[in-house]
Amino acid sequence: MSKIIDTLFANLTKITAFLVLLIVAWIFTVLIDHSMDAIKAFGFDFVLEDKWAPNLEKFGALPAIYGSVVSTFLAMILSVPIAIGVAIFLSEIAHAKLKTPVGVSIELLAAIPSVVYGMWGLFYFVPIIRDIFGGVGISMLSAGIILSIMILPFMAAVTRDSMNTTPDILKESAYALGGTKWDVIKDIIIPYAKAGIIGSFILALGRAIGETMAVTFVMGNVHRISTDLTEPATSIPVTLANEFNEADSELYFSALFELSLLLLVISFTIISVAKFYFLRRKRIGR
Amino acid sequence: MATIVNVTQEKALEVKEFEFTYAGADAPSIKKLSMPIAKNSVTALIGPSGCGKTTLLRSFNRIHDLYPGNKYKGEIIFENRNILDHKEDLIHLRTQIGMIFQKPTAFPMSIFDNVAYGLRLQGIKNKTELQDRIQKALQDAAIWNEVKDRLKHDANGLSGGQQQRLCIARAIAVEPEVLLFDEPTSALDPISTAGIEELVVALRERVSIIIVTHNMQQAARVSDYTGFMYLGELVELGRTEELFVTPKEKLTEEYITGKFG
Amino acid sequence: MTHTQKRILMSRVAMTFSTISAVIGIGFLLWILGVLVSNGIDALNTDIFTLEGTPPGYEKGGLKHALIGQLYLVGIAALIGVPLGILAGTFLSEYGQRSKLAEIIRDISDIMMSAPSIVIGAFVYAIVVAPMGHFSGWAGSIALTIIMLPIILRTTDDMLSLVPSTLREAAFALGAPKYKVILQVVYRGAKAGILTGILLGIARVAGETAPLLFTSFNDNFLNTDMMEPMASLTVTMYNYATSPYEDWQKLGWAAAFILSMFILSLNIIGKLFLMKKKGR
Repeated sequence: MSKIIDTLFANLTKITAFLVLLIVAWIFTVLIDHSMDAIKAFGFDFVLEDKWAPNLEKFGALPAIYGSVVSTFLAMILSVPIAIGVAIFLSEIAHAKLKTPVGVSIELLAAIPSVVYGMWGLFYFVPIIRDIFGGVGISMLSAGIILSIMILPFMAAVTRDSMNTTPDILKESAYALGGTKWDVIKDIIIPYAKAGIIGSFILALGRAIGETMAVTFVMGNVHRISTDLTEPATSIPVTLANEFNEADSELYFSALFELSLLLLVISFTIISVAKFYFLRRKRIGR
Repeated sequence: MATIVNVTQEKALEVKEFEFTYAGADAPSIKKLSMPIAKNSVTALIGPSGCGKTTLLRSFNRIHDLYPGNKYKGEIIFENRNILDHKEDLIHLRTQIGMIFQKPTAFPMSIFDNVAYGLRLQGIKNKTELQDRIQKALQDAAIWNEVKDRLKHDANGLSGGQQQRLCIARAIAVEPEVLLFDEPTSALDPISTAGIEELVVALRERVSIIIVTHNMQQAARVSDYTGFMYLGELVELGRTEELFVTPKEKLTEEYITGKFG
Repeated sequence: MTHTQKRILMSRVAMTFSTISAVIGIGFLLWILGVLVSNGIDALNTDIFTLEGTPPGYEKGGLKHALIGQLYLVGIAALIGVPLGILAGTFLSEYGQRSKLAEIIRDISDIMMSAPSIVIGAFVYAIVVAPMGHFSGWAGSIALTIIMLPIILRTTDDMLSLVPSTLREAAFALGAPKYKVILQVVYRGAKAGILTGILLGIARVAGETAPLLFTSFNDNFLNTDMMEPMASLTVTMYNYATSPYEDWQKLGWAAAFILSMFILSLNIIGKLFLMKKKGR
């Protein structure tokens, strides 16, 4: 009897584990299937065409792709130096009494839903951008900055964790040769923790590019490529969030599904690079 | 009080009424300790775990200062100045008093860059000068022949014993006056240990050495003077051959005959 | 200036820069937290919990519909996602271990944890909403389940593998079958860790907005029928905040405050569990 239960239990766990693979495969199949109309209609032009005009049944994803790339790039160049600064502060400068409370607060801030960051951005940050740069304030720039603030806690926390993996004895060795704090950070700690830091940054990039709510509020969903960062713009997730409920034709839906597929493939690729090249999974336990 | 043999030769360091208290601790870990350190000799510090020998060693280059809240009292005289003075230039001090740690601490860079590290910190950029001094340091650390063909390789590819000799090369490249060894062979196999011990003996021609060891045979093999510490105090300091054969203090005798420890 | 003096100066500059960037970063985050708390507390009153949504312009409105909808959506997602995730994690840690299959499932789950949640919304739209012909609470819960599954799976896997193998061996030595060893010994040993995983998984999906936009959609009134569109705090927050009506915006802040406090509490409790476990 217990032998039967044993086999049943083993198989039950196995089936549920397979479920994860099944769901991922299913997601890809469904998205590809639903994208077919758009793929057939536009082919490769979908990603090269800069005109997105649902009323004319013309769908070009270039403005959304451009917006995703630029807003994420902006977010990264703003948050990377700040994240490194916060991490250095937390691991090498802050007094022990400050380290834990500030460190824990930053970890907790990473848990605040992105929709809250978006709301704050809309009501408090967009007006500032409007006052400084003119225009409506709803813009690529606002989206990039709010995205950078949203990913900051995650980046700072993981950078600090990577830096903290440097053995004390290694740091002491560099101090014992007459190194200053900065010498030790740049020559020992950062090289030692490099893989972890870069991996985490790429992971943050992968998350940022798929982030929807923090930017939907402040980007404007305007399908136009502009080099002026203070102009409204759009990104792949912003387009999806704004237009999925409005789509009124088969082709329109299909174009949105193709955008989803594109986004999934981009983030899968970026996250995989982060994971397999930089962040080898730590083996814990047995 | 402690029995301290007269160090007749010139002194490298002189510890006077030294007290050390760790951050947050009520009682000092080292209490009113005084001892001379002979120049161009090897002084070993022995004693049971927690006796304060490593704490004392780490005071000589003030590595304790990396962690806020640690307190020093008394004096450590080096080159006619008290290095515990708050005006002491720690960066300069650490180039004069080098340190080797319990585990090899090869930096995440090439073998060449490891040895060049301290030199570059001092602003030496001239390529030939760097090369000459690195070659000399590696030769003095008896590792030149093993690494001369792969200076550009990652230092972490070396064996533990090789890495430890690389760390010694890195420390002597900056030509310190004193070298501190903190149980330098505790992570090494017996053959590598023998290599490091030979090196310690050879190096005293050029630098004054203080070595902390938990291994009494090692102290006997490498040192000229041995200090026995217990509960934060120096019990006895003597010429190594005398201390191990005819200890003056009962506590020393009990320790070296293995009655406790 | 000597080389060393230059280095010391450089170090001071770098440390000052780090401190300034820490102040900037932490300052922004405090600003957001301050705005959230002050607007939230400002908008909080008992009506929030007892009244449903109103058309714009009506003075009195509440979030009862969104709070209850949120409980349904997240609760049902947890009811499905937690057992599935724990079972799947059990397979990885206890049966699959370091096999190729287990490693692939781990990798895919790790990637899924960071995958864009709006894409999950699109997927569920295609498989649930489109065939049904309308939005529904079920669609929302299914989307949240898919997001939650890999989180529960990976924490369970990690936490179970922390249980020392001697404990398993001791139980096996007494002649216990494997399922009993797992259910009675391994799960018990990893209880705190699994619980933390569940809390963090729930906290994570409770803050999701994007996958609900076109699955459970929204409803301005109370609905407890999972077959119909259902309100959630997050989508309500989005709709209210982007509306031009001040009353609605205020309710949006109240929703943001309640939700954030809920999620922060789950995170703090989860962290305390883990700390207690480490302390032992």
